[in-house]
Amino acid sequence: MATKYDVAIIGGGHNGLTAAAYLAKAGKKVIVLERRHVLGGAAVTEEVFPGFKFSVCSYVVSLLRPEIIRDLELPRHGLEILPLDGTFTPLEGDYLWRTNDHSRTRREIYRFSPMDAEAYDEYSKSMVEMAQFVKPILSMIPPDPMGFDIPGFLKLAGLGKRFLQLSRANQHNLVQLMTMSAADMLDQWFETDPLKATMSASGIIGTYLGVRSPGTAYVLLHHYMGEIDGAFRSWGFSRGGTGQISLSIAAAAAEAGAEIRTRAGISRIKVKHGRATGVALENGDEIDAEVVVSSVDPHRTFLKLIEPGAVDETFLAQVRRFKLRGSSGKVNLALDGLPDFKCLPGAGAHLRGAMSISPSVEYMEKAYDEAKYGDFAKNPYMDMVIPSLTDPSVAPPGKHVMSCFVQYAPYKLREGTWDEKRDAFGETVISTIERFAPNIRKIILHKQVVTPLDLEREWGLTEGNIFQGELSLEQLFFLRPVPGWARFRTPVKSLYMCGSCTHPGGGIMAANGRLAALEILKDVSGGLR
Amino acid sequence: MSHDVIVIGGGHNGLATAALLAKAGKKVLVLERRSVVGGAAVTEEFHPGFRLSTLAHTAGPVRASLLRELGIRLDTVEPEPRVFAPQPDGRSLCLYGDPAKSAAAIGAFSAKDAQAYPRFHETLGRVAAAIEGLLEATPPDIKNTPKLSDVWPMGKIGLKIRGLGRDDAYSLLRWGPMAVADFANEWFESEALRAIIAARGIAGICAGPWSGGTTANLLLHAAAAGGNGAGSTVFVKGGVGAVSEALAAAAKRLGVTIRTGAEVARLTTNEGRVNGVVLTDGEQLPARAVASGTDPQRTLLQLLDPALLDPEDLRRIRNYQQKGMASKVNLALRGLPTFTAARSADEVKGRIHIGPSLDDIEHAFDASKYGDFSKQPYLDVTIPSLTDPGLAPAGRHVMSIYVQWTPYKLKTGTWDTRREELGDAVVQHLETYAPGLASLVAHRQVLTPLDLERTYGLTGGHPSHGEPSLNQLFTMRPALGWAQYRSRIPGLYLCGAGSHPGGGVTGGPGANAAREILKDL
Repeated sequence: MATKYDVAIIGGGHNGLTAAAYLAKAGKKVIVLERRHVLGGAAVTEEVFPGFKFSVCSYVVSLLRPEIIRDLELPRHGLEILPLDGTFTPLEGDYLWRTNDHSRTRREIYRFSPMDAEAYDEYSKSMVEMAQFVKPILSMIPPDPMGFDIPGFLKLAGLGKRFLQLSRANQHNLVQLMTMSAADMLDQWFETDPLKATMSASGIIGTYLGVRSPGTAYVLLHHYMGEIDGAFRSWGFSRGGTGQISLSIAAAAAEAGAEIRTRAGISRIKVKHGRATGVALENGDEIDAEVVVSSVDPHRTFLKLIEPGAVDETFLAQVRRFKLRGSSGKVNLALDGLPDFKCLPGAGAHLRGAMSISPSVEYMEKAYDEAKYGDFAKNPYMDMVIPSLTDPSVAPPGKHVMSCFVQYAPYKLREGTWDEKRDAFGETVISTIERFAPNIRKIILHKQVVTPLDLEREWGLTEGNIFQGELSLEQLFFLRPVPGWARFRTPVKSLYMCGSCTHPGGGIMAANGRLAALEILKDVSGGLR
Repeated sequence: MSHDVIVIGGGHNGLATAALLAKAGKKVLVLERRSVVGGAAVTEEFHPGFRLSTLAHTAGPVRASLLRELGIRLDTVEPEPRVFAPQPDGRSLCLYGDPAKSAAAIGAFSAKDAQAYPRFHETLGRVAAAIEGLLEATPPDIKNTPKLSDVWPMGKIGLKIRGLGRDDAYSLLRWGPMAVADFANEWFESEALRAIIAARGIAGICAGPWSGGTTANLLLHAAAAGGNGAGSTVFVKGGVGAVSEALAAAAKRLGVTIRTGAEVARLTTNEGRVNGVVLTDGEQLPARAVASGTDPQRTLLQLLDPALLDPEDLRRIRNYQQKGMASKVNLALRGLPTFTAARSADEVKGRIHIGPSLDDIEHAFDASKYGDFSKQPYLDVTIPSLTDPGLAPAGRHVMSIYVQWTPYKLKTGTWDTRREELGDAVVQHLETYAPGLASLVAHRQVLTPLDLERTYGLTGGHPSHGEPSLNQLFTMRPALGWAQYRSRIPGLYLCGAGSHPGGGVTGGPGANAAREILKDL
């Protein structure tokens, strides 16, 4: 005898849980079904080695929407964001170290180029203004420009109006941001190579593009949109790891009455007469629901889980076209001490921020070249953090956890499999760090290597794409994930999407889950279906 | 004696502007630095008895309405096959104007692709037709308070795009920013075909098939050329220079004065208004307005006193991406080379595409990112003497080789020291498909980006006066606020390929500019 719910949510990632919380608060009978033993999806904390807690996948937070923190009272449910200050780029015999202290950073850049120090002020100012312009889009339901969606048109018109009100300089900058490559755009502002390389890096994270590929510039804006406790463009750790974010959202959902099950993998989305009626679990259980919400990627939802024949071929073709190719991996290290950088020895504050292996634009671009032809970068770009310095709770006393995000690591290898190459990949990462911090090898207690294949197998991210689909221009806003289906609905009645594959995309924003929930409530209470 | 309008540069766009202005009764003077008109659309005798289109070797095609208006009838040839793509395995893929014929040829590579091709051909045709209007439109000026007249033309095109229907319209939005390699992969599975399609997205741009935004380049080409799946291959009898000569003749008929060997040193201004030019020999020539057919950076940073630009504009024009990536290798041949993959000489009458796979083309691009050129460059080759025997002595031939990517800025050496190295690499690369080619070469002319700048006045050596990249198209070409052909300096107009709709022997920018100038005069 199957139990009946208003809403069944597939996947207990931060977006699925956010949707659950909003729907439960609206009085719906909600159940969340998570395949794994632990909640959080890619925003998860796992004690991979005894005493060492890792933010295994996603590792920093910046864009978590403040309205969600407020609405769900996340701090009361255990969310605490700790500051992550600065980006440290080690070089041969020197380093570039930017922090949130603007004047200090200015002086640092001045060491490399007085001109760039000048430009840095102007650049930051312009970026902040443009971020203000773009930000509302993150909380906006994408309009359907090809439909007859009057409110949507008004929103677009509103955007257009605000665009016209920008200064000509910023209008120009904005168009460039939306169309140019990160490196070319930064070339117009700066001459310091490591500065351009490190900044441009944020443009390619999670994409299968190089820093010189058009369409990578706009992501730079994200770094000027982050806000934690109102502190503008600051990044942070979540105490207890990023999993704690998911857990605090889960607590809010549970308090509102949502039922949350782990080890409850879905085998099939049940569809009757073009309408989703519930889900079947891998263990054979069946759960009936008025509405089914999938927080997993479209390939998994429509090519694996949905009842065969429930969706027409043209839509499936569009889903297959949605690009998910993963391009990054992760190496998590349990350390007996701290890395000692040749260029800046000792356990200084530089270890508390992000450490970026991005010495030059050419280094970044060459890393991409290898991936283009199906091999992982032998000299990869890396973004590393040591959360245990800020949050001792994640490692035993005196020990540390180090998280290394690595790009490029293409899901599809030209030769061999990731199972064969996992160790070689891990070794490449260690030896790359070693070039800058020679003591790293000695202090490693444990090592976890996460390849794109592992992201797919273990965390359910198809092709190992950390954003459930590339954040390239043709897959954003009203084109994400499928043109005409960017508004969380699907061709199957009462089946919705709420994962990173929807607008506004990946990263721990939770906006997707919230917007989806609001759309669902419109349909349900509005009795549209 | 004063003129209404002085046109700087006797390239095909400048000539188009001049002729259309004269037709409207204006007194027009064209000043060409070189001894021949045509600019980059020129036919030259590069070796005794051997003539060919030294730079651009195919016509855009030229905008039909322009030719009609000026009563020009061009003697053009559209060779079949349009494209011949030899493969390393000795096979070859030919594409024809007739989609059915192309599909049949594709069948030898992939039955699936042969099936998909006709649909590709039709879709591209529909989409191209929808955006064709964009090419003739003047990009709207982004004002803080736009008038209806500013947005109406865009509205019309918007409606046209919606008129495509949901699927095509969304495809268009999706394709624009996409990498042309992804675009080709969405449609086809055979590398040979993918590579031919992708080549249309990377023509004349410092980007490889895997770079975002290259599909927009393909769509613009398609819009100008009628959207045939095989692309366009339009030869002009007598070489592309015949286009310029026809435009010059029409202009003269309409009363335009054309002076060659007249190099403009600078623009003269009075109270911030351009009122004429000074030639390098000091001669002063006053005019009510000046239209510049040269590239934006030469016009605004060299001919104009940059002090007249506000700092914002100065920065924009300085940052305008105008560094070249293409070279030409022109060969005078003792006989017809044999392409081992060609079943007959007829197959090489059109464009010969050398770049068998997406990866081959991408590899050719990689080197240029680091200031070098590949030893296996991407080549677009034509043998115009096959369809136009007059270009070479009997039994002899001319071969025109467009080479990409050869960066203007080399990491090591200069183009003066490495020019012949490039020539050797190109001929050697072709030898793998046409053995014995080298032994047929009677004379070789190598035109590097540096030569494009020195000889033909293309600043930075960019064949189309600036990158056709997303950030430099339409209202952004050459910069926001400068895209209405009317420069921000009163009396100065832009009518070259640095303005919308950009490069190619189409006369588009020239024609659009004339329309705007006449509104003001």
